[in-house]
Amino acid sequence: MTFEIHNASKAFKDLNVLQDFSMEMEDHKIICIVGPSGAGKTTLLNIMSGVIKPDAGSLSGFADKTVSYLFQEPRLLPWKTVDQNIEFVLKDKMSKNDYHRLVDQYVDMVGLADFRHYYPRQLSGGMKQRVAIARAFAYPADLLLMDEPFDGLDPQLKRSLINAFFCLWQLEKRSVFFVTHDMREALLLGDKIIVLTDRPARIKGHIQNPIPYWDRHSENVEFQRIENQLNELVINPTC
Amino acid sequence: MNSSTTKTFFITLGSVLFLFAVWEIGAHYVGQEILLPSPQKTFIHLISIFVSPSFWSTIGATIARGIMGFAISLVIAVFLGLVAGFYRPFFWLLQPWVTVIKTTPVMSIVILAIIWFETDAVPVFVAFLIIFPIIYGNVVMGIRNVDRPLLEMARMYKVKTRRIVIELFTPSIMPYLLAGVSTAMGLTWKVIIAAEILSQPSFAIGTELMKGKINFETANVFAWTVVAIMISFIFESFIQFLEIRLNRWGSSL
Repeated sequence: MTFEIHNASKAFKDLNVLQDFSMEMEDHKIICIVGPSGAGKTTLLNIMSGVIKPDAGSLSGFADKTVSYLFQEPRLLPWKTVDQNIEFVLKDKMSKNDYHRLVDQYVDMVGLADFRHYYPRQLSGGMKQRVAIARAFAYPADLLLMDEPFDGLDPQLKRSLINAFFCLWQLEKRSVFFVTHDMREALLLGDKIIVLTDRPARIKGHIQNPIPYWDRHSENVEFQRIENQLNELVINPTC
Repeated sequence: MNSSTTKTFFITLGSVLFLFAVWEIGAHYVGQEILLPSPQKTFIHLISIFVSPSFWSTIGATIARGIMGFAISLVIAVFLGLVAGFYRPFFWLLQPWVTVIKTTPVMSIVILAIIWFETDAVPVFVAFLIIFPIIYGNVVMGIRNVDRPLLEMARMYKVKTRRIVIELFTPSIMPYLLAGVSTAMGLTWKVIIAAEILSQPSFAIGTELMKGKINFETANVFAWTVVAIMISFIFESFIQFLEIRLNRWGSSL
């Protein structure tokens, strides 16, 4: 157990988003956090990244870690090309040779080698999110925080992005915290799925998903079993 | 040249020809050169102005005043705009001053400037005051409209502040700044010439316009007006060229 959150609370004005929230997480795993919208998932990520401080409680294991991010939107600088957008976050961290090599490598791996000199305006939504994925992986980080980065994409595109994501992750297994409200996504990617209650968020339960990534499909009986388990946990009333 | 720019070209050409036709017919109908000289008459005067020995020093002086007023305004407005954009209390501190400058009638500024300064400096001072609020306002707006999620991304990826300023803020502010510069540039020549008419420097387009009026040489007034329009047009084209160059990432290739 390397990442821990102890009794964290956070309120915005009178709205209690987190109250006495605790969790423990293993590293080098993809951990999915699912919960209803407005349950405080983004707040949780922001606390992990240090962008906001909890009103009470403490964290351990996060402080000395470098973090990269995938947001709901690609967040690319419109006046920079694909290459330049990735260089933008790398330049302060390494030598010119190193970041050129990394940019080359990751642009290639997300299948955008032919588009590296394109501006975001010239790319489709899925391609832009690929650039954001390449940027997140090219950036040297121990921790990757993802806030619904596959939200709002059509199912086919979503699947291909998730595959692209997984291939990159496999090469260098970072600790991933992946927040989503989509249970299919959680089941596809998560080694462990944590289900949150409604606001203020508490842990309703968690599910281990030991099935290898490429066997995670509806025809697999074991996968179905885990899916049912997750559905039950989500639907099950808390009181 | 593709079909749409050809089309635009012909529409513009048609419009210009129509303008000349209206002018020509109007001049013919009025029949008095002192009220409305014909395009030909204006053209002849334009040529004679153009070959006159003082032509270049006259337009040179007016252009120099315009550039000076504009440049001083640009530097100060960008600097104060940056400070006010990043630091709210400073914005509120400047706000009453900017409002006063913005709402004072141009002619009040000109008359006060004539009282306070020597003739050559009057147009420069007036142009400075008129342009300042436009560029200042646009710079402040540019900073306020920087994309927050992008900024958050840069901060989260721990990009150095110096690079955030150069690579994120500067390109975000640029379109606003250029829009301000474009509006301000057009206004500069109007204001400079208006101020010259009242302050009467020895070399100035405004002074020549006034001479034309006093001597009942309306064709000269028209000819100098054409010169002023051409100067304004040349500067406007230059700024448009800059806008296109700097916004390449946003225009269709």
